[in-house]
Amino acid sequence: MKLYAYCLTEGLDTLDHAPTGISDAKVSLFKHEELGVLVSNSEIDVVRVTRDNALAHAAVVRSVLDRTTPLPFRFGTVVDEQQLKSYLTARKSALQTQLEHVRGCVEMNVKIIQQVQNDEPPLPEHGLAPEGPGTAFLAEKRREIIGEERKTEHGAELSTLVREALEGLIKDEQVTLRPAERLVFAAAHLVERSSVQTFREKMSEAVKRRPELHFLVSGPWPPYSFANIELEFLTQFGVT
Amino acid sequence: MAFSPENPLSAEPEIETSHVDEFVEQLRCVTDSLPSRINIDAQSVEQGLAKLVLTLIEFIRRLLEKQAVRRMEGGDLSPEQIEELGLALMRLEAKLNELKSQFGLTDEDLNLDLGPIGRLI
Amino acid sequence: MADFDQILVGEEWEGSELSLLETLDHVLNRGLVIAGEITISVANIDLIFIGLNVMVSSVETAQEVLRKRELQ
Repeated sequence: MKLYAYCLTEGLDTLDHAPTGISDAKVSLFKHEELGVLVSNSEIDVVRVTRDNALAHAAVVRSVLDRTTPLPFRFGTVVDEQQLKSYLTARKSALQTQLEHVRGCVEMNVKIIQQVQNDEPPLPEHGLAPEGPGTAFLAEKRREIIGEERKTEHGAELSTLVREALEGLIKDEQVTLRPAERLVFAAAHLVERSSVQTFREKMSEAVKRRPELHFLVSGPWPPYSFANIELEFLTQFGVT
Repeated sequence: MAFSPENPLSAEPEIETSHVDEFVEQLRCVTDSLPSRINIDAQSVEQGLAKLVLTLIEFIRRLLEKQAVRRMEGGDLSPEQIEELGLALMRLEAKLNELKSQFGLTDEDLNLDLGPIGRLI
Repeated sequence: MADFDQILVGEEWEGSELSLLETLDHVLNRGLVIAGEITISVANIDLIFIGLNVMVSSVETAQEVLRKRELQ
């Protein structure tokens, strides 16, 4: 019988009210010294990404957030007891470092949607002789590249905007910029629990300052974006 | 709904936005791009490999284009050299497009999401 | 695409679609494990879209299938 692993915890001895897990399985705490892993029995190796499974996963991870900050495993992590035990033993100090990093914190998220600009300022002229298909090709590429660079600068500007608004509140961040898309900016922030309200207030102010941008602020979440832990196993090719 | 001590952290996270529909539309792309099942037939394996290889080549090709434009702007190329360079890159682009269509891949297919690094292309 | 059609359509869901999508975005943020015993980090594959992970599993399984066929 295999175990579906939800998240890594510290300082827990029991689970008071864990919700049911994947496929309505009961969730229990697999302890190894001070570390613990929330698990449930799983008959199958491959867990499908369905709404119910994903929500069950999220609910289980979230259920301990009041008492401690867990490190979520990737969705679909199924292991056997022996593997789990060896993993916790071998990786103990690295995992403790990870837990320390997120201790006392939660994750908050900011996303920004921009309107796609159609009116671009004129490009600086290049004085290229207008002959030859090769030259025309490069001139067109130049136009595209300059356009992309402008978008990237805009994206970087948004990063700065958010970072400055949240100065002093962020312990760590994970930012994804997609300059060519409407959903141009998505950031996960690691924030002390006591700072969550201030975080929301600061973002509200920032939203008012930039009415042409559309913001989404969500949280608090368990630190999904700051969990650099995985259960790794040797493949047939011996790579890890 | 304001955040308060009475609202425990283990409750559902709050989501604040004035543009629900827009974000729903954008976030749907997250679920759209996930694989639905593992294909083990030879054609999918081949296509998966082709996708990877072509994406890497496409990445390099884009870098070459950028470099060419930079050199062109730098002013150290003669008009003939610019023309040669342009033609070579044109041919490379055409060749890549041929390969893409051979495997039935679009530009979107080659757009591997590298998470924090952002899209490759 | 059977699984994902179920996600947004189908039975009732008291929460909003937005909260469902946001939750999914978080849970699946760093990818997912497709086949339990096969690692998802082959060199730097950790960074590469999960489509590649599926492909990795497929390559392995495919090789298994081919190997078995050869033995027959």
